[in-house]
Amino acid sequence: MSEVTTVKVQAPPPELARQPLVLNNHSFAWISDKISGLVEGKTQKWWWPAFIISASVMLMMFSCIAYLISTGVGVWGLNQPVGWAWDITNFVFWIGIGHAGTLISAILFLLRQKWRTSINRAAEAMTLFAVVCAGIFPVIHTGRIWFALYPGFLIPFPNSNSIWPQFRSPLLWDVFAVSTYGTVSLLFWYVGLVPDLATLRDRAITKGRKFFYGLFALGWTGSNRHWSNYEKAYLILAGVSTPLVLSVHSIVSFDFAVSQVPGWHTTIFPPYFVAGAIFSGFGMVLTLLVPLRTLCKLEDVITVRHVELMCKVILATGSIVGYAYAMEFFIAWYGGNPYEKYAFMNRAFGPYWWAYWTMISCNVISPHLFWFKWCRTRMWFVFLVSIVVNIGMWFERFVIIVTSLHRDYLPSSWSYFKPSWVDICTFIGSFGLFCTLFLLFMRFLPMIAIAEVKGVTAQADPHHPAGGAKGEHH
Amino acid sequence: MKTIPPICPEPKVGPKYWRSLDQLADTPEFNEWVEREFPSGASEFNDPVSRRHFVKIMSASFLLGGLGLAGCRRPEEHILPFSKMPEGYVHGVAQYYATARPTRGSAVPLLVKSHDGRPTKIEGNPNHPSSNGGTDAFTQASILNLYDPDRAMRFTKSGSEKSSADAFDALADISKKFQATGGEGLSFLLEQSSSPSRERLQKVISEKFPKVRWFIYEPVDLNVERQASAIAFGQPVAAEYRLENAKRILSLDCDFLGAEENAFRSIRGFAKGRKLETPNDEMNRLYVVEGIFSITGMNADHRLRIRPTQIPALAARLASEILKGSNLTGLSDLAGSFKGDEKWISETAKDLLAHGKNSVVLAGHRQPLAVHLLAHALNDALGSAGNSVVYHSISQANQGSIKELTTALNANEVDTLIVVGGNQTYTAPADLDWSSAVAKAKAIVRLGYYEDESSVGATWHLPAAHFLESWGDARTADGTFVSIQPLIEPLFNGVTELEVLARIGGLNTTRPLDIIRETFQTISPTNFEEGWKKFLHDGYLEKSAAQPVAAKINFGAISQELSRAKSPAAASELDIVFHRDYSVDDGRYNNNGWLQEMPDPITKVVWENVIMVSPATAKSLDLRVLKNRKPDDLKNNDRGVVAGNDIVEVELNGRKVQGAVWVQPGLADNTVALALGYGRTKTGRVGTGAGYNAYLLRTSDSPWFASGAKIRKTGEMRRVVSTQEHGSMEGRPIIREGNLEQFKAKPDFARNMDLEAHTPNAGPIYKHPYNSSPELKSKVHQWGMSIDMNSCVACNACVVACQSENNIPIVGKDQVERGREMHWMRIDRYYAGDVSDPQVANQPMLCQHCESAPCETVCPVNATVHDEEGINVMAYNRCVGTRYCSNNCAWKVRRFNFFDFNKRPNNFADTSKGAFGKLYQGPLAKKEPLEYDMIKMLKNPDVTVRMRGVMEKCSFCIQRIEGAKISQKVKAGASGDVAVPEGTFTTACAQVCPAEAIVFGNLLDENSRVSKLKKQERDYAVLGFLDTKPRLTYLARIRNPNPLMPDHKEYPASFEEYEKSNGESGEPKHEMNGAAHGEKGAI
Repeated sequence: MSEVTTVKVQAPPPELARQPLVLNNHSFAWISDKISGLVEGKTQKWWWPAFIISASVMLMMFSCIAYLISTGVGVWGLNQPVGWAWDITNFVFWIGIGHAGTLISAILFLLRQKWRTSINRAAEAMTLFAVVCAGIFPVIHTGRIWFALYPGFLIPFPNSNSIWPQFRSPLLWDVFAVSTYGTVSLLFWYVGLVPDLATLRDRAITKGRKFFYGLFALGWTGSNRHWSNYEKAYLILAGVSTPLVLSVHSIVSFDFAVSQVPGWHTTIFPPYFVAGAIFSGFGMVLTLLVPLRTLCKLEDVITVRHVELMCKVILATGSIVGYAYAMEFFIAWYGGNPYEKYAFMNRAFGPYWWAYWTMISCNVISPHLFWFKWCRTRMWFVFLVSIVVNIGMWFERFVIIVTSLHRDYLPSSWSYFKPSWVDICTFIGSFGLFCTLFLLFMRFLPMIAIAEVKGVTAQADPHHPAGGAKGEHH
Repeated sequence: MKTIPPICPEPKVGPKYWRSLDQLADTPEFNEWVEREFPSGASEFNDPVSRRHFVKIMSASFLLGGLGLAGCRRPEEHILPFSKMPEGYVHGVAQYYATARPTRGSAVPLLVKSHDGRPTKIEGNPNHPSSNGGTDAFTQASILNLYDPDRAMRFTKSGSEKSSADAFDALADISKKFQATGGEGLSFLLEQSSSPSRERLQKVISEKFPKVRWFIYEPVDLNVERQASAIAFGQPVAAEYRLENAKRILSLDCDFLGAEENAFRSIRGFAKGRKLETPNDEMNRLYVVEGIFSITGMNADHRLRIRPTQIPALAARLASEILKGSNLTGLSDLAGSFKGDEKWISETAKDLLAHGKNSVVLAGHRQPLAVHLLAHALNDALGSAGNSVVYHSISQANQGSIKELTTALNANEVDTLIVVGGNQTYTAPADLDWSSAVAKAKAIVRLGYYEDESSVGATWHLPAAHFLESWGDARTADGTFVSIQPLIEPLFNGVTELEVLARIGGLNTTRPLDIIRETFQTISPTNFEEGWKKFLHDGYLEKSAAQPVAAKINFGAISQELSRAKSPAAASELDIVFHRDYSVDDGRYNNNGWLQEMPDPITKVVWENVIMVSPATAKSLDLRVLKNRKPDDLKNNDRGVVAGNDIVEVELNGRKVQGAVWVQPGLADNTVALALGYGRTKTGRVGTGAGYNAYLLRTSDSPWFASGAKIRKTGEMRRVVSTQEHGSMEGRPIIREGNLEQFKAKPDFARNMDLEAHTPNAGPIYKHPYNSSPELKSKVHQWGMSIDMNSCVACNACVVACQSENNIPIVGKDQVERGREMHWMRIDRYYAGDVSDPQVANQPMLCQHCESAPCETVCPVNATVHDEEGINVMAYNRCVGTRYCSNNCAWKVRRFNFFDFNKRPNNFADTSKGAFGKLYQGPLAKKEPLEYDMIKMLKNPDVTVRMRGVMEKCSFCIQRIEGAKISQKVKAGASGDVAVPEGTFTTACAQVCPAEAIVFGNLLDENSRVSKLKKQERDYAVLGFLDTKPRLTYLARIRNPNPLMPDHKEYPASFEEYEKSNGESGEPKHEMNGAAHGEKGAI
């Protein structure tokens, strides 16, 4: 190539110029090197201690689960009338976290939000791992797990007794909703990974890497045909995933809304749960990415602008959640059902008042700090708030589940729930599992979608002053 | 209805067949031929090799047989089954035998179910003239004692094990030894009994050994009643109260519905007076004067809370109103010392007088002689005798008290002491120093059911047989002669009281069966063999009830006693009341897990006794019940919110006990109530560690009350475990109550409460499958239940009966603290009104068997489903244990197996190990084989034993329903009449209920009792507004207060609370009935 023709395009006026999604005008090569380097380079010093701690905590959870299964559900603090407590709280908490990933990758994709590219891979991975963590709890919370998993009980299977699962039960809907969601999320994540796996394969210097990345890259060559098929598949999967973002948590909310327990039996639950899920999911994305962008020196790819945008999502969904809380109270009063009214008064002023007010301060008050730019741009501050949001969202589920159950219709059965050490260790252990999986992910797979990030840089835009083909090929 | 026994089989004499003429002639040739030829292996015994083989095989099979046949021990004597067997014994079909449970001075007539030679369930004998088939919680639970792995299992001499033959030789030696001295130095210490055989044996022994001395000790002594009637009437008579004839009842600290003897009979009589078919029916009125809160107090229309030491004065005050003109000296002095509500007394007196012979006054066993005498005088004045109370003569043997025995022991007058039953080392009055006194006897022979405190130091200890293993006899409260026949051979070779007495007496007949046959012959000599068979079959001797005697009251003797009565203690003093415990009696049921876990009817405390004080007293003594909680707050005391109750030390005359405080609304101020029977030092695995020992404060002079106690806080706190911690109904119309006047004015008041009366509803959120597919429902049976809260007195019998029938495990104190008790049926207790003197309402709560059941739609695996007869059934094999059904049950009647309660050992009363207890060790901890095997024998084979991880709940005793249906189908044959007739069977809870408050039956049968009850206007569904259409509905409770009384209120306190929280006036504004708007019921 001898002559390069450059097209001069007028730069937009400064007041309209958006901050670029990759800072410092880095080249494509830099992006590839930077992100692949995290996988190919030496293990960072902090990784091993982090991994060992996470893996140990994960092992603690598996020991607790073994103890639970061998001994009985009684090792938890559950009682009569609180038949569900931390188990289902944890389930809803983790499944909620899973929502951000798919929202970022699917809905933001369909809405052409280019800023998603820097964070979608990690968010999708987070989704998958959160679904793994979430999936554990409903399985182990059953009294007889060996039957729960046996085909013909929860899993529909033709059997000689001609007994099918009960399709009217929201728990069965959960089985389908969560497994569908998990499967589609996995496919979506994997399809997006294929071009990057090929990049890693091409850059591999050891035979092992070449083989494994090559195996999973499915013979990707980067040809036009491949790209064309890839884009179509990606679009279809985004389309399939989008309703799932809304459906999964709606269905999870049916576990409660379909029942007749005061405090559970409300029609506001589906939208409120979805908003809450996105709220908590973005909280978790921030909890993960804010430290990682510093630790992995990715400040130019995951920019302050990205963080700010996510803060705004938190602000929006947090406001919806706050509105839902207020509306629940209003309806409890307006509905005129004394049992309902009592349930909500009891939430705020009963024995679990502390849980309720923890939830309110974390979920209703803290997101409103993000009205201020100062708050959105201070990484340590964002990190703190993201953790607070996660705490608040865990408490939201705890408040809904436990405070509704512990005092329902007949005061004679009213009781109080206290977690046992097994409850606590299993919950903490689920973070071990989550972190272990995430650490393995970031060590062995590109944490940021290389191909997609390149696509949203100025260089990729032929109409951009800095864009166009500049003679570099990658 | 009750199980009706078939008629006694007529003896049949069939033809005798003979094999040959030789046999007929019984020739020696024939016998020899049989000898040689018939036992085919007999000749092989001469061959050493094959004999060895034979013995090997036989011993192996005996071993196997011994292990496997532990449940097949049949008594060797000929006993008569209750039912007629067509072709001998049918495997797997239960048989019923009539027997009786002896109590102190009385008996409970029973019909006991036996499965393959194992007694599994106790029912009342419905044919007995004074029983409707109802029993009490003690009787229901007594079957568990039979299989108690901690019971005495060996004969010991000074602690080392001996054979039973050695023991019997020792008894024969004693007999011989005292034959020479005429019984000098031989003393017997017995328990109270109504057995005519024992009375006869005592007489025979006394004749043989004229110097022998008899003593009787009962820690809960009901003898005061006999004493009082002997004084009042100048002859030994027993009063039998016929409460069914009483319109006005006054109880002077008499817990006739609970802690008094034969409460099941009194409940029956009392409940009869409270059944209302129409608003115009007459209803009895109960006045209760008491210090502690009793079951009777809970059922009172007017309850006067007063210190028990005040009651003699109160009785005198009342007597002075009613006995105007009588010349009882000392009455006015005693009456004058009464301080209290004068109007309450005078209005009560007026009401009693107005009803004359239809009123009755009862005095409790805790009260001194004076109160009992006054009660007799009052009944006499009211003319109740012959109507609501009858007297019949009893024999009064001359027997000493434990105090006299102690004196004799200390004077070294007792050489050999025979102790039959009881546990005196634990129960004897503290001032007697029993253990050092008894050590002065040279030899002690003890017959005990447990190797307990009193076994220590016994020369010989013999294991006592359970009443289900014994031959015996007794008299029930009405004097009817009842038989006690064994259903199983003694599991551990236990012997009976009769046998011990007979052997010591050196009698020729020592077999208990022969002894009672002899007794029977003296009582019913005509047509002996036939009569005897009928006696065993029926369980009682017909027309043997005592004849009422005309007793004339002796005012002179009463006056004399009255002058000895003590006047009340000073107001500032702290009184102690000891009371018989509703769960463990005087401690005899201390090792009974069902009873330990049965919630106390008032406190709902399990597994221990507490130190009860009133809210005001707690406040004045600064006792905390729960950290951060005011003692008079009944609301915020949910499990786990708080640290616990204060542990206090109660001191009385230098003796001290420590226990946890319990603030009991309705208790008299300045009164401390201590329940007997706990704090045992040597008991079994169940009772160890349960509660404190109140006997340590009890003296022989004042066994029931004492004044001048002191309470000191120890500074420690501990949780007291109860099954219901929220005492207020929160204004919710769960138990609907009205006063009689209110009911008359508006008979359907109960149906106009709650949301269903106000909001038109859109139908149930869970549709009933019958409505979409009506072909699924049975056209023959649709089961339903009705519970009349007006006659339920909350005696707990149903709770234990359900546990016994349905193989419900006990979970131990630690698990109850965590809220995991397994009872399918519970009795909810709510307080309403003033916390210091509240009204109490009780409600039996069990699965409501909703037609549109919320539990069914949420179960993901179809484990809980509806059957075609309207029962919400559990398929345990299907259940994976998501607990969603329980969460969605508004009544919270489902129970989850958090652990393998049947397989794991348990900490029982001990909570110290908590999460490190045996249940938490999973498969690493197994029940000891003996315990496992013995408890296994108790199980009802018709009911699945549930494993961990499975949800369970009331099934309306589906096993009984199916059994009845099968029998009916067999009977119907080709006729096709498969509808089970009314009265054939009922659920365990309904069968045991002495009040007949629980009625179960077929709703399709228009004439069934349950259908009729459901048509009553008092009928309502709890949480009916949810529109789940429960098959179990309740009849509203009606109180019958006297408008003239000072404490009269127009509405019951709970009704006022409901009105207040619903912001409405007394008259419901809406006439709409929710059911009219919703989906139509399935039937």
